[in-house]
Amino acid sequence: MSALSLHKRVEENTGLLIFGILLVSSIGGLVQILPVLNQESLQEPTANTQPYTAVELTGRDIYIREGCSVCHSQQIRPLIAEVERYGPYSRAGEFVYDRPFLWGSKRTGPDLHRVGGKFSDDWHRVHLIDPRSVVPESIMPGYPWLASRDASQAGDIVAKMRALSTLGHPYTQEQIDAAESDLEGLLEIDALIVYLQMLGTGLDEEIIR
Amino acid sequence: MVADLPVGFWSGWIVVLTCVSLATLAWVVLSVYFAPPDAKAEDAHEPVWDGDLREGASAPPLWWFWMLLGAMIFSLVYLMLYPGLGSFEGLLNWSQGKRLVSSYENYEQSFDARRAEIANLALAEVQAAPVLMATADRIFRRECSACHGIDGRGQASLFPNLMDIDWQWGGSPEQIEQTLRNGRRANMPAWGPILGEEKTRDVAEYLLDFSDREHVGRPVYEQSCAACHGAEGAGNVFLGAPNLADNIWLYGGDLDSILTTLQEGRLGNMPAFDEHRLDAAQLKLIVAKLAR
Repeated sequence: MSALSLHKRVEENTGLLIFGILLVSSIGGLVQILPVLNQESLQEPTANTQPYTAVELTGRDIYIREGCSVCHSQQIRPLIAEVERYGPYSRAGEFVYDRPFLWGSKRTGPDLHRVGGKFSDDWHRVHLIDPRSVVPESIMPGYPWLASRDASQAGDIVAKMRALSTLGHPYTQEQIDAAESDLEGLLEIDALIVYLQMLGTGLDEEIIR
Repeated sequence: MVADLPVGFWSGWIVVLTCVSLATLAWVVLSVYFAPPDAKAEDAHEPVWDGDLREGASAPPLWWFWMLLGAMIFSLVYLMLYPGLGSFEGLLNWSQGKRLVSSYENYEQSFDARRAEIANLALAEVQAAPVLMATADRIFRRECSACHGIDGRGQASLFPNLMDIDWQWGGSPEQIEQTLRNGRRANMPAWGPILGEEKTRDVAEYLLDFSDREHVGRPVYEQSCAACHGAEGAGNVFLGAPNLADNIWLYGGDLDSILTTLQEGRLGNMPAFDEHRLDAAQLKLIVAKLAR
């Protein structure tokens, strides 16, 4: 049988043509995506990776809402220039509780995956409100409104944590019950700083590079 | 550095699907190119134009054949050399992780001797070498300037000036080194709720002119503040308690700023710079730049 006679049969039979198109276009996903979804070494959280606390989760949602991931990536590639600049390269197991992941694809600002602990809370506060007050050449916009809105306004934290535990994030009932009181008295900027300060701290301390 | 490759069933799944796809593509390309003329005639289910123009009337162009075949040969060679076929690591034994390790080996080979040399220099020798001090400036810009400013003179009324003679945690090379390596966390409590509004204001006013010993705020100072800041206000570098008798105010020296500091407290925090952020040589250079 030559490919030409098969060609004739496929072109004359619409059902077969549709099936063929679906089959061919699914091969990439079957080879590249399906095995990864089933690869245990990529699903295992790294030593210090925990589900986001109520405050971290709120900060993360503010990060998403304000579009931080549009300019800041959260993935350090295993290249010496990146490891020297940002810290140990990102491991798959650090993102198991990221829904959705915030790897990003463009760096207008620096990568933020290992920003946790790099600056003090005070620095983050003044920098978020007015970036040029500490980095004169910065092109980052200021986010002053974060310092005047209550963190509890950022969304229904209990419903979010319930939804995530349905997806398999190991939250305890106590954590969900305490979620609202955890946010009490915090401003959005506080929650965002808590989130920034935990970024990249999920790696085992033994891992250097 | 073990490459994180799929194993077991899914490894086989990848190998089989990849090889079957490649073989199918090769079969399509080869069988179309080498199909006998009558097979092409048999395929003439398409309409005919201009008497003899129809699909399959002539062989596919040579560039088409070689482009597809070349792409297949390239992918075969690639899959043999690099990781791609399931758990097969490739003949070159290459992975991104291994490349990073070897980059670091090259890097260390080129610079380790020089770095050890710098780390062992005396501070005065480093300070006397313009090349090293220029390097120190670059490291300072990268690691310190976000808070302390490009000129190191502090900013935002939160981050101290490092170019003056006043050191909250001590200005000796050893103390600066310790501040860098371990970080510092100051802990000025919020005195507002403890002292009450009146006494807080008394102390704040007293601090504006420390030499006025008859001031009504002096007894409050002696009772509540002197333990850390000293009876003479000289401060204590071991606690990070700043000198209050001089004219240098990190959080502002006007009455309102001092009142805010007293009422709300201050938790100044210098992050730690471990050996991955500043290696021994870089640390030496920064200390040489800052110590006087």
